Amino acid sequence: MRLLDGRLSIITPEGVRLLLTPAGPYLRAGAWVLDFFVWSTAAGILYAILPKGKLGQGLYLISLFVTYWGYPVICEVYFGGRTLGKRATGLEVVRADGLPVGWRESTLRNLLLVADFLPMFYASGLICMMLDVKFRRIGDIVAGTVVVHREPKPVRMPPVAAQPMAPPFPLNADQQRTLADLFERERSLPIERLAELGTIAEPLTGRTGVESVEAMRGYVAGFSQ
Amino acid sequence: MKQQQFEADNAALWQKIAAILDGTELDRRDLPALYRRLCQCLALCRQRGYSPAVADYLQKMVGDCHRLLYGSAVHRPTTLLRWMLVDLPCRVRAEWRLLLVAMVAVFGVGIGVGLLVWHNPQMAYSFMSPSELSSVHQMYQPNATKVGRGGSEGDVQMFGFYIWNNISIDFRTFAAGIFGGIPALISLAFNGMHIGVVAAWLSKDPVTRHTFWSFVITHSSFEVAGLVLSGLSGMKLGLALIHPGRLSRGHALHAASEKMFPVIVGAALLTFLAAFFEAFWSASVAVPDQVKYAVGTLCWLLVIAFFVFAGRGKQ
Repeated sequence: MRLLDGRLSIITPEGVRLLLTPAGPYLRAGAWVLDFFVWSTAAGILYAILPKGKLGQGLYLISLFVTYWGYPVICEVYFGGRTLGKRATGLEVVRADGLPVGWRESTLRNLLLVADFLPMFYASGLICMMLDVKFRRIGDIVAGTVVVHREPKPVRMPPVAAQPMAPPFPLNADQQRTLADLFERERSLPIERLAELGTIAEPLTGRTGVESVEAMRGYVAGFSQ
Repeated sequence: MKQQQFEADNAALWQKIAAILDGTELDRRDLPALYRRLCQCLALCRQRGYSPAVADYLQKMVGDCHRLLYGSAVHRPTTLLRWMLVDLPCRVRAEWRLLLVAMVAVFGVGIGVGLLVWHNPQMAYSFMSPSELSSVHQMYQPNATKVGRGGSEGDVQMFGFYIWNNISIDFRTFAAGIFGGIPALISLAFNGMHIGVVAAWLSKDPVTRHTFWSFVITHSSFEVAGLVLSGLSGMKLGLALIHPGRLSRGHALHAASEKMFPVIVGAALLTFLAAFFEAFWSASVAVPDQVKYAVGTLCWLLVIAFFVFAGRGKQ
């Protein structure tokens, strides 16, 4: 099945297709704002707790340096490609082949934030993301990484409980999948919408409204039980 | 096979894999075999048209397994050592043309501007403001408690400042170099110009001559080397963008950055070393000038010898 969407597909050596959804500038800017807030808060706290005077000033500048350049790299290498901002927005950094980033990739992409910032407010990075099909900024292209949406853990629904029924004509795999999907999404649909969908399925069930939905439930039970 | 029967048949396999992924099961030796069976489950699930929820569940599990299996990094504790002792000097030597350009940008501009100021001292005011020049002049008075500073700063304070300021300049020089290498070149030339003006201005006055040169000679070896290396790696990135050769621009950039990574790490380490010397050694008035000159010369020779000889025949 090949869909015309923006997802990147990676074929693994086992012949399985992995799908990655690249993240666009809007969410990534949100993640950046959150990270900047975290960093500046941490810097403020450090400034408050470190002793005043010459020694404290020196330690403060050293810790400022380490946190400014090191925070994103350490988060990405040790915490699954996610800084706190990316964690909150559901994003993660992976290599172009879908594997976790290492020291080199993470360091390069974060050093090149400087180039993305030029001439002001990440203009180069934004233009680069607009022109690239994978929404990569300059740092991502140089380091060979991509920022993707983290897939949430899918919830498995209990099986459809109904009297199995045979459909009036055989359904192919795609059609079966469509029907099964309807009952897995059932809880998120209002009853009126379900009835509406039932009416649309009249050519299949020969009924309308809720009765048609119940017939389809029977078919799904029939080919899953 | 009906979907529920399929799920029941394979539930044990899926649970076993989920336990490995969660970290509850520590024995991962079976993972490759289990993973291949999981891939087969996903393929069957797709082909037989089982519900999307099961397919999504398997797909997510396959993705996680793939990362665990292929993404585990080999533990190589000596990587950094090898990068610094072998790869760094070899890659700098391989880019000797860019090294030459970077050195001309720093030393050429520095010496040129220095000679200009030496022969026409009033020219110094075209490069720096009078207040900057007089504060620099003030910093290198022989009777100051600390050389090269306003006078009231502590060693650790200046160490922090040099790290925050100088290493960040290295990183910015490298990153901005991607725009055709020109920003990196400008950064090098600008720093060279600044050094040239200050050096000529302070050498003109016999009072500050020795305090200045004995202050800078030691740490400048590491600091200038760090600056030149960051400029070199920045220009290499920029060249990859302008002249990618037979690769696509993206691939050329990626290859150049991979090659230059040890160089930029080396630049940061050298600048760190320079900050250490600048804060705790160069500014000290307890050490006689002759000792500073001797140690400084030794450091310069060491840096030059390292980049000429280190790592030969070990690539």
